[in-house]
Amino acid sequence: MLIEFKNVSVERERRLVLTDLCLVLSEQRIGVIGPNGSGKSSLVRLINGLLLPQTGQVCVNGLDTGKDVAAVRRQVGFVFQNPDNQIVFPMVHEDIEFGLKHREPDPKRRVLRAQAALERLGVGHLTERSVHTLSGGERQLVALAAVLATEPEILVFDEPTTQLDLRLRNRFEAHLAGLPQPALVVSHDLALMHQMDRVLVIDQGQLAFDGVPTEALAWYQAHCA
Amino acid sequence: MKTKDIVLIALFTALIVVLSLLPPIPLPLIPVPLTLQTFGVMLAGLILGPARAGLVLLLYVMIALLGLPVLPGGRAGLAVLAGPTAGFLLGMIPGAFVTGWLSVLSIQNDKSKEVSSSYDTFRPTPVWQIARYVLAAVIGGIVLVYAIGIPWLVFVTKMDFAKACWAMAVFVPGDVLKAIVAAVVAQRIRRLNMV
Amino acid sequence: MVYQLRRWPGIKRIARDGPLTPTTQDSYRKMLGSLYLPSGTWLHLAPAGLKLAVLALSSTALMWVHSPLLLLLTCLLVCLLVRCAGASLQQVWRQLRPLVWLLLTLGALSAWSQGVLQALEMVLRLFTLVLAALVVSMTTPLTQMMQVVVWLLGPFERLGWVDAEKVALGFGLTLRLIPELGVQWQDIREAQLARGLTPSPLTMGVPMLLRTLRRADEIAEAIDARG
Repeated sequence: MLIEFKNVSVERERRLVLTDLCLVLSEQRIGVIGPNGSGKSSLVRLINGLLLPQTGQVCVNGLDTGKDVAAVRRQVGFVFQNPDNQIVFPMVHEDIEFGLKHREPDPKRRVLRAQAALERLGVGHLTERSVHTLSGGERQLVALAAVLATEPEILVFDEPTTQLDLRLRNRFEAHLAGLPQPALVVSHDLALMHQMDRVLVIDQGQLAFDGVPTEALAWYQAHCA
Repeated sequence: MKTKDIVLIALFTALIVVLSLLPPIPLPLIPVPLTLQTFGVMLAGLILGPARAGLVLLLYVMIALLGLPVLPGGRAGLAVLAGPTAGFLLGMIPGAFVTGWLSVLSIQNDKSKEVSSSYDTFRPTPVWQIARYVLAAVIGGIVLVYAIGIPWLVFVTKMDFAKACWAMAVFVPGDVLKAIVAAVVAQRIRRLNMV
Repeated sequence: MVYQLRRWPGIKRIARDGPLTPTTQDSYRKMLGSLYLPSGTWLHLAPAGLKLAVLALSSTALMWVHSPLLLLLTCLLVCLLVRCAGASLQQVWRQLRPLVWLLLTLGALSAWSQGVLQALEMVLRLFTLVLAALVVSMTTPLTQMMQVVVWLLGPFERLGWVDAEKVALGFGLTLRLIPELGVQWQDIREAQLARGLTPSPLTMGVPMLLRTLRRADEIAEAIDARG
């Protein structure tokens, strides 16, 4: 994978959230940490075109997010913090099949693909369940299955463990380790950063530190704690 | 129709369903306990504007007719259309549209006044805005709905028109109260410019 | 093309009176059941479009029938159909109960102003119409109803006015959000009670809508991200 930020500035509600960011990302596991309001959520939303830069350009695998947003979104799977906002249909299988709508024209194959995605995460038994009868952890897995079913090239996670208890958090960490695609994880959960290849520290809209997890965490503790 | 519009329509439809299913509130001085269904309709009209509010109500009525118990008292299905009060339900669709249209109109008027006057800039005070919203809610949510509901009632039950009016008049004070509350809430929400 | 909105498991009636007890709160967290009664009768097997068409035509025709005897016969026929649909008396009563009071009041008013015969005619007609519609609702699953809706929307789609996908999304999203908003209402109500306020539509309207609108942004984002 190749994600490039070329002199990117982002303004949100008349505030400069990211200033003149230049970055090239190609590692398998990348972590993004930083204080609240630092701009890390905005940073990851640039990757799949949910936010467009005021200046500069964001390129994902050669595609410009400003010009080929649909193509970019086909390649980038985005998992949001709150699965309740991500799951759109009342039944589990409906939601996953909805995500596959454009990628799999044959309805029968769509059903099979949805089922397979759920089983890969160990929640195949939830196919016929109504979403709101599921627990928080199950919903998160369903949301993740919905994204994985579309077989994206790159995965982006926005604060995936904030709402999970310890056991679910550990299970998520295990799942994350097993995913074949390159993944970008924004998190306050510093322990997650240990399985990353590279950690970015974003502070006040700037890239404050960029390096291996141990050094990045040490810097973060020293400057932002 | 943007994604956000569809989401807003779905949210407000779900909101009306939740409000419809809450137990009716008894109030002093008001003869009948109030259901919050009309409150939801007025809110949708005042906040979303004519087109989206109309779609919200259309969706709500369709869901009810398809058989889901989303009407006050848990009623549902095509049977509702056969009932005497079906006119009131269907009347809410244009009612929400009209409320929305009138609420948007009042804002446009204020804008033109702001631009044209130079010495005293007319900025609509909250009370003035709320009054306009109340008017919009009453005309759309009450007058129009009853204008469709009562003739339907008369047609279905072969009742005397005057008697039907008197029978339904008992609901009007409650509905006016809902309109006032809806206007107050809508004014505060619209000021935040999130829609 | 249109997503299959199947009947949700579990039906729980939401209590109508009294304070919102924990069981009522629980009901909000459960699903709304639909009217559909799964069974294998001939009525269930009949195509939905046909049933709806027959219902529409016969309902319209019934508006012009004035003889109480004929209305009574039609009413009995429909009652027979209700039995054919496999519904128990309890299930039918649950659906009819809200209407019965209304019918009785209207019947009394009508009898007083227009005469017993007129009143009888009106009550019988309404009762028959409602039962007939109930038969159709009980024997037609949501998915088939949706297909009829899609078919009706067909010409509009060809005109370019309507996008079936967006309609399906709207339906699905609404159904998904109903229990969520119900829980949200409860949460806000509890928070206000804890602060010593009396929850009312006036005090709860603004926080409810604020949360709703904020969610709208997040949900729209999530849908856009899926492409």
